[in-house]
Amino acid sequence: MKLFRDSILGMILFIMIPLAGWSQSMPARALDNVTIHTAEGKTIETGTIVWRNGIIEAIGSDVSIPFDAYVIDGGDSLYVYPGFIDGLALWASPDLPAKYSKPEAPGNPGYERAGIQPHRQPNKLLAKADSFKKARKHGFTTAALGLKGQMLPGQIDLFFVNGKDTGAYLIREGIGLSASFEQAPGSFGNGAYPATLMGVMARFRQLWYDAAALREQSAYYASVSSGYPVPARDEVLEALYPAMDKEQPLFFKADTKEHISRLFRLKDELDFNVVLVSGKEGFQQAEELRKRNIPVLASVDFPEEPGWRVKEREGEDEAEVTEEMRRFRERQLQAYQARITNIQRLIEAGVKVGYASNGMKIEDLKKHIQILMDEGGLSENQILAMLTQHTADILGIGDKTGDLKQGHVASFTVFTRPFTEAEAQALYSVSGGKLSEFEITTSEKEDKAE
Amino acid sequence: MRIIVALMYALLGTFLSGHAQEKGSVLIKHGTVLTITNGEMENTDVLIERGIITEIGQGLVAPDGVETVDATGKYVMPGIIDAHSHIAGVHINEWTHPVTAEVTMEESVNPNDINIYWALAGGVTTINLMHGSANVIGGRNETLKLRYGAGLEELPFEGAPQTIKFALGENPTRVHGQGFGVQPRTRMGVEQVIREHFDAALDYKRRREAYLKAKKEYDNRPKGIPPLPVARNLRLEVLADIIDGKILVHCHSYRADEILMLMRVFEDYGIEGYTFQHANEAFKVAPELRKNGAHTSVFSDWWAYKFEVYYSTAYNASILNANGITNSINSDSGELIRHLNHEAAKTVHYGGTSVEEALKMITINPAIQLGIDNRVGSVEEGKHGDVAIWSGHPLSVYSMCEKTFIDGKKYFDRERDDDDMRLKIDPEADYEEPARRWYEREKYEDSCLQGAIVRFGEEGMSIQQGSY
Repeated sequence: MKLFRDSILGMILFIMIPLAGWSQSMPARALDNVTIHTAEGKTIETGTIVWRNGIIEAIGSDVSIPFDAYVIDGGDSLYVYPGFIDGLALWASPDLPAKYSKPEAPGNPGYERAGIQPHRQPNKLLAKADSFKKARKHGFTTAALGLKGQMLPGQIDLFFVNGKDTGAYLIREGIGLSASFEQAPGSFGNGAYPATLMGVMARFRQLWYDAAALREQSAYYASVSSGYPVPARDEVLEALYPAMDKEQPLFFKADTKEHISRLFRLKDELDFNVVLVSGKEGFQQAEELRKRNIPVLASVDFPEEPGWRVKEREGEDEAEVTEEMRRFRERQLQAYQARITNIQRLIEAGVKVGYASNGMKIEDLKKHIQILMDEGGLSENQILAMLTQHTADILGIGDKTGDLKQGHVASFTVFTRPFTEAEAQALYSVSGGKLSEFEITTSEKEDKAE
Repeated sequence: MRIIVALMYALLGTFLSGHAQEKGSVLIKHGTVLTITNGEMENTDVLIERGIITEIGQGLVAPDGVETVDATGKYVMPGIIDAHSHIAGVHINEWTHPVTAEVTMEESVNPNDINIYWALAGGVTTINLMHGSANVIGGRNETLKLRYGAGLEELPFEGAPQTIKFALGENPTRVHGQGFGVQPRTRMGVEQVIREHFDAALDYKRRREAYLKAKKEYDNRPKGIPPLPVARNLRLEVLADIIDGKILVHCHSYRADEILMLMRVFEDYGIEGYTFQHANEAFKVAPELRKNGAHTSVFSDWWAYKFEVYYSTAYNASILNANGITNSINSDSGELIRHLNHEAAKTVHYGGTSVEEALKMITINPAIQLGIDNRVGSVEEGKHGDVAIWSGHPLSVYSMCEKTFIDGKKYFDRERDDDDMRLKIDPEADYEEPARRWYEREKYEDSCLQGAIVRFGEEGMSIQQGSY
């Protein structure tokens, strides 16, 4: 293994060349003798992938490698998966202030203090470059990056997860607007309007009304030569226009059955497109989501398994279980199982389900994938499709990326073992054609230290 | 005839609600029926079909498939209506601005709150889920039927008029004047906040209508200068609706002077059909309340929990009632709501109010105040099948509510009252959690202070030393 890694040192140097410097004459690269898993669920044994200029030129078990290609030989021991796509990630966002001061006029705190910042662009604000490397190590090659915030935290930009200078790897900006029912930060005494759920609902409406009026004034202003008041520029309201035109969906975070109902209500009233983000209790609205053709970028941030169940499984002694306690446990287990089978039930109902970390620590992904496999009712192929093609489809890039196909963007990860196995580690990551290599660690501790 | 009545109401209900609420049918036999509007009827049967009371009489026979409940020796009364409640709320108070009419408790309903079930166990079927009292003009309230387990969409009382919370006195002046240095700092300021906002609403309505008219004309025939848009404004729109009589005001108040003040303001703007909530000094201005057609909704015997409510009397409800004011007894509490029958009974005990009048204070009177008295609040043919069966007379402390029906469907049955009636379990909650009660956790909050020093400073009241 070490030997062939050394053999590509030259290539590692080569990839330092920025994307802009590439041209039609770029040599191809190839990954040979690997087990390829596609998002469609096909497995290609002893397969080969050839890519050039960031695009897959050929893929299959019987592929001839171009003479000019740099070749990595997988030695039949590596597993290749389409690059995972994070449908809404916050891991590169600047953190929220630790403390919010009491606003001077809590009833009219201004957009920013209220959590209304739809004009903010992640590509201008991204903070944590090292998080990109971490994401690659966990198999992610593409991510829709959003910003931390409250009811309207900002735009969502789509990135390749492949470089320190992230701005250069922007695929598309403004693919959606982040939204949630979260009130302005702070509590009684130092909070601000909207400080309640009902305030947030009202504020959404008022923003739409204000934006509509401003837009109309701008249109009238443009239509006459003189004698009409100049509309005041308002970057916040103007940032809502694409959502009002349904050109930009709201990536709306909602988890409970009730919140999803409230989202339907708001959508019906204000008429915008929606991608449901997180949707932890989405199964309770599965039929309605399907009918309305609302896709879900699902959370896999599952609750902790009930402690008593863990103890029971491990055979630990405990005090007598009363009848009342038994009934409680039964209900608690049902609640737990409902949460971990949420995605399965959404899929069964015909809802398109992709994946969004949306604040979940990336290190927790593997643990939760294991739960999905063991008790969540999903197969490895279903999980893979959710993490790749289905997320790509929801983000509107499914025809370009999401699977390993000729003509698709060369974004994939090479793992030492099938990605669902606990010991699996990423050895190479190719994102938008750009290759990164990782050290293989031998223990959890080392992994964390890195 | 009764089938026609039932069909008519069922049809009407469908038109009004837009979605189908689950209705039930039941025949309750041989009970003593406290009709509220037609006296007490012994050994009487009540038939509810598809959610509507279709017949009251003797010897009624259950139609095919309709369950019969034997109420021999028991009392049947309309479901209790609580005109002031904060159970089943996600958030209660959008406290950030002195006027927040644009928010509505309809969008702050928690259908899974166990307090709903506990209220049903006290024979309550309808509540006025109120916004809090930090604002002079708070959010709109939501009238709910306690259809526990039916979900968010099924709780609102279909067709009930909108009501809105106002608040006078210490709460809005403390939160806004004292807390944020904005109007209102005084009771005078409270009045001005109301007047200024009403005037702004009238102005807005005029400007908005003028703009819409001009826009229509311009868009049809674009000549001259286009109109300047007047954005739709939810807050002012709701305030204009209050002035237009489309929304009923329920005003948190204590002192007689502020009650008089609001009646003067409302007279100026032509607002009618309002209710003073708490109104501990209302007895002092009972004739004035009567003259203005104002209602009151009070505690039976609760006061002295802050300065402005230092002065009150357990005779308040009885005095108001004797003066011909439509008065209700409310809970404002997840605990009191479970025994509003006792609270009503206190008016008999203290003020010598008749049993019939006392019962009205938790049934038809709050229904009048919420604008739903043509549908609930009494056992009458054509009204909703919202009834409760009690083991004895509901004003007796020995009686218990045994079964509670809403729209003829049973939502509480003491015989099937399991230990854990929560609708939703947090998978990470611990076993002990449901046994805890909020009023136990906070039981020291309203206790008597001994040997304390209370200081009033820039930041409000602080308590030093002393013990509970």
